[in-house]
Amino acid sequence: MAAERSKKRKRDQDDAIAKIKKGKESKKTAAKKKKKKGGSDDGSDYEDMMDMYKKAKPLPGQRGSCELCSKAFTVTPYSKAGLDGGLLCTPCGKEIAKEVKATEKSNKPAVRRGRRKIESNRLDGFNFRGTKTLQQLCIEKLANHADDIDEFGDMPEPIMKRLSEIFSKKRATNSTTLKLFLQPDMRSFAVHEAAYLQTEDYNQIFAVIPNLKKLALRNCCQFKDVNIEYMIEKAKSIEAIQLLGANLVSNDKWIDLFVARGKDLKALKLEWLDAAFDDQAVEALTTFCPNLERLKLERCKLLGVDSVDAIARLENLKHLTLRFNVEIPRERIINLVRTIGCNLRTLCLENFLDNASDPTDELLDLIHTCCRHLQKLRFTENNECSDEGYVNLFKGWANPPLRYIDLNTTRDIDNGNPDGPEDFPIGLASEGFKALMAHSGRQLEYLDIASCRHISLDAFADTFDGKKQYPNLQEINLSFCPVVDTVIVAGIFRSCPKIKKVVTFGCFQVKDVVVPKGIVLIGAPRAHDALEQFGEVVMEFQKELRREMEKDMERITGRVVPVMS
Amino acid sequence: MSETTPSEYVTLVSNDGYEFKILRSAACIAGAIKKALDPLSGFRENAQSRVDLPTINGVILEKVCEYLYYNQKHVESKEVPDMDIPPELCLELLIAADYLDC
Repeated sequence: MAAERSKKRKRDQDDAIAKIKKGKESKKTAAKKKKKKGGSDDGSDYEDMMDMYKKAKPLPGQRGSCELCSKAFTVTPYSKAGLDGGLLCTPCGKEIAKEVKATEKSNKPAVRRGRRKIESNRLDGFNFRGTKTLQQLCIEKLANHADDIDEFGDMPEPIMKRLSEIFSKKRATNSTTLKLFLQPDMRSFAVHEAAYLQTEDYNQIFAVIPNLKKLALRNCCQFKDVNIEYMIEKAKSIEAIQLLGANLVSNDKWIDLFVARGKDLKALKLEWLDAAFDDQAVEALTTFCPNLERLKLERCKLLGVDSVDAIARLENLKHLTLRFNVEIPRERIINLVRTIGCNLRTLCLENFLDNASDPTDELLDLIHTCCRHLQKLRFTENNECSDEGYVNLFKGWANPPLRYIDLNTTRDIDNGNPDGPEDFPIGLASEGFKALMAHSGRQLEYLDIASCRHISLDAFADTFDGKKQYPNLQEINLSFCPVVDTVIVAGIFRSCPKIKKVVTFGCFQVKDVVVPKGIVLIGAPRAHDALEQFGEVVMEFQKELRREMEKDMERITGRVVPVMS
Repeated sequence: MSETTPSEYVTLVSNDGYEFKILRSAACIAGAIKKALDPLSGFRENAQSRVDLPTINGVILEKVCEYLYYNQKHVESKEVPDMDIPPELCLELLIAADYLDC
């Protein structure tokens, strides 16, 4: 109350001051006019003149007539002035005030909030140069106006997919916007951020799309038993299911699903399940889904050793990704790889440690002898297998060169001796790394050896000497490999013609690298200006490539290429 | 290479008869137009330097041309400000962009 009163007092005071000022001004102008004495016919003087003939404004307490609606009303200190200087009645005054506020808002300069976004894009490795595509621009605009759209109509499927992805990214997928994306003739449907969807919305998906084959829902917190029931009833041809965080589905319902749709199921990916989905469910999965080709179980809290044994019975499996929360005895994993390893295209084993028994390289040896068709191998967070094990894995491996290798965080952990045992290196070290590149170098597209601390400078220098070529390598992560220096990074630029992204967090020897055009270097801690550096310089070795490309282009298109200095 | 030297400007024609004369280099940013004007293919489009776009109306095509020049202008620059697109044109423009491949 007191605050309000003081506010009111202040306002009164302000009004009074304003009135006084106004009075002074009018006196001044009057004085000026007298000086000028008529001799002008310009508008302002004329207006001033007119002002003099105007009726004086009524004072508070008096009756006046509104400038807009011409109704009579009692003037108060709160009465607003109209556009032509007259006073307004209370309702009209409120209207005007609203309008004024609205225009003020729209006139405010747009706050630059793109900075964070730009940084995030940079760290994601988007190499920005030039404009976005027109499609991208339209899609972004659409996502911003998601609430105003009623229907998309007939859109090409890739565009729909892209739209859905962008909606998810902006967390704009909710009950209303979901309907925009549902079309009866779809075969696959994905919502990558489904946190705002309700239980009924999920049913909607199956109701609208009868021939759904592939379903992917991430963060589908409200996906419940009833949805599974409805899916069993409606989605008769479902083949691939991916659900992240579907914690409200009970164990029994998972089993029901496998019983009902198991025969057709080709792919199943489940992540972040805490409350249900235990070994029994996996048992049912392996019994009723014999044709499963793709299985991913990550961070499912209740899964243990029995699940590993059950998965070993899935003979048709081609892609397997596992990450468990509990320790699995080594012999169970070995048994798993021995029985199904020969068919696998993808093998991802993350954080499989067995601290109970003595470290051995048995698993790596087994991969060497069993696997013949691997294209992607991920074997991470391990301090048991030795460098020798990795050498034996890659040396003379009958498996064709791999496309994707991730061996990050395979190193010795001993704070007292950070370099690890010298004569017997643990984890992927120099020799293992050389063997890896010798085996897979020519096909390798992605390599992650972050935190493989025991790889020596010589091994890097030898591998990336600028002469040996790795024609397909696009992305490499060398973070926390302490020996990596400027020369190595420069060598990578020369040895890998297709390289796009080099990640070097925690590589303190990397300083002031000249990054060639089209490549992004992320995370060099000693870089003076920025965490990420975009290549601007066209290097000698690039020039030749470029000349050839330009020749090709001219020959093909005859297009006038805009040349900028 | 074709024998006749390609003209500097080309004409894009919308389905309601509007004609836009724009730089050939800008027009070729759109994949579909680039293919239509490819001298090796020997389409009439290249000989006449004129591309009919019967699925796109004048309003949208104007916006497309604006984009093509915007793209050409910023081809080398970093952190380009987004072009302003009226929301009511978005869907049609998106379909046109998909068709033109730009």
